[in-house]
Amino acid sequence: MIRATFFAGLASLMVALAVPPDATAATVIMGTVKNEAGKPLPGLALLEKGEIHNNVWDRGTLVGADGRFRIELPEGGQYGLHVYSSGYIYSPEAVKVETGKTLEVKVVLDPEPIRGNTPVIKKAGFFPWEARQGKVTFVKVDVEDPNGDLGPQVLALNAATGRAYALNPPKRITDLKANFPNGIYQLEVDTSKGPINPRDWHFVVADHQCNTTDILSFPHEPKPQKVIGKP
Amino acid sequence: MSRRIPPLLIGFAVACHVWPGPTCVRQAAAQTGLQALVMEGERLWTHSPDAGNPVACATCHRDPAMTRGWAASFPKFKPLPPPHARVMTLLQANAEAVERHYRLADPLPAAIAITAFLTAQAAGVPISPGVSAGQPVFAARMQALAASVLRGKHLYAGRCGHCHKSFDLAPSATTFPRTEGGHPASLELFLEGHRPLQPPLAWDGQATADIMAYLISQAAGRPTGDHMYRASTEGKEGS
Repeated sequence: MIRATFFAGLASLMVALAVPPDATAATVIMGTVKNEAGKPLPGLALLEKGEIHNNVWDRGTLVGADGRFRIELPEGGQYGLHVYSSGYIYSPEAVKVETGKTLEVKVVLDPEPIRGNTPVIKKAGFFPWEARQGKVTFVKVDVEDPNGDLGPQVLALNAATGRAYALNPPKRITDLKANFPNGIYQLEVDTSKGPINPRDWHFVVADHQCNTTDILSFPHEPKPQKVIGKP
Repeated sequence: MSRRIPPLLIGFAVACHVWPGPTCVRQAAAQTGLQALVMEGERLWTHSPDAGNPVACATCHRDPAMTRGWAASFPKFKPLPPPHARVMTLLQANAEAVERHYRLADPLPAAIAITAFLTAQAAGVPISPGVSAGQPVFAARMQALAASVLRGKHLYAGRCGHCHKSFDLAPSATTFPRTEGGHPASLELFLEGHRPLQPPLAWDGQATADIMAYLISQAAGRPTGDHMYRASTEGKEGS
């Protein structure tokens, strides 16, 4: 009995020494989103993987009514965190998350002073590709920017999967600083394992001057974009 | 916050008070012009010149505690969207932002003024290229900066090294922006116009950023905007 206990203890010790203490800990970025007066703001938190503004969108999540969000990551590293809330200028921030650790950020958003330059998502829709027997579905949004300086941030979040996407512009553009055209932006989604649930999809657009649309969520019926005054 | 005034400057101020010669007059004029430039930069920082687009720099970057270290961290890698991400000087980064946000046909005058304002805000902060207080340091960005410094070293040797030792020149490189003859002056524009027999440099180009990255790397640890601090101190003393 004593021998068995000794060997069991030795085995546990060896396992403990072989595995770094934080190897099983989650890699997380979490935070709060508020306005200048401290009021929690709901919205979206989306991540680019790697250098910020590289347009390689990776993960994302909804920011709750309490202004809190949490995104679990497969690995640490450099990310570009973008936070959006309806009526507010979006906030970009380059962050470094260490593997097995939680990075906590505090985001303060400022309201858009006017909405006359703000892009508009005129409509959004989901269109199964009949030729592919529903294995592919196009997610499409019709975007218009009054001052014509759209950029690559025509974005979608599938909240069910936690995936963030940049939708493809109507024509191919390689220079991400170029002004992107108004029109239909779209994304091909693999729906071979199940159809899209529109309730999971949220859209937001920001132009080169940081003017940011309201977040368009289900039922994806746009409303007039209002100015939120300074608190 | 208290700051120590260098004894040499106190001596200079006293000497100018006793005998305000031409040097002192020029110095005073330059500092008055510099203050005006800084104030213009603050105005542009806080108010958009485009009435149709009132979003100004300060709309998003409103916390001076956050922006105070910016000037000290340049030249550095600016993560602009590909393929534009590169090492930039503060003036180049400001010009890019002014062009994008304010849509001015000529972004340079506003960019110099905003650069002067940010440099004045950072007065006294130790120069630390690539590193901003309170912000994470990314290895890839520092590697890009190191590569820029190396390119700058070679460029400097070919263009400037025959007449100027870089170590001697580095302190002067930190005294921009400033006013010369009543006009705003930047090191980028100086480099563009200097040594006209050499292949031309563009004030907003990579080569200019590389030369400045090399020069400023040798001034690391020195106070940012020391000349700004002198200007603000003497302005207050005179008021």
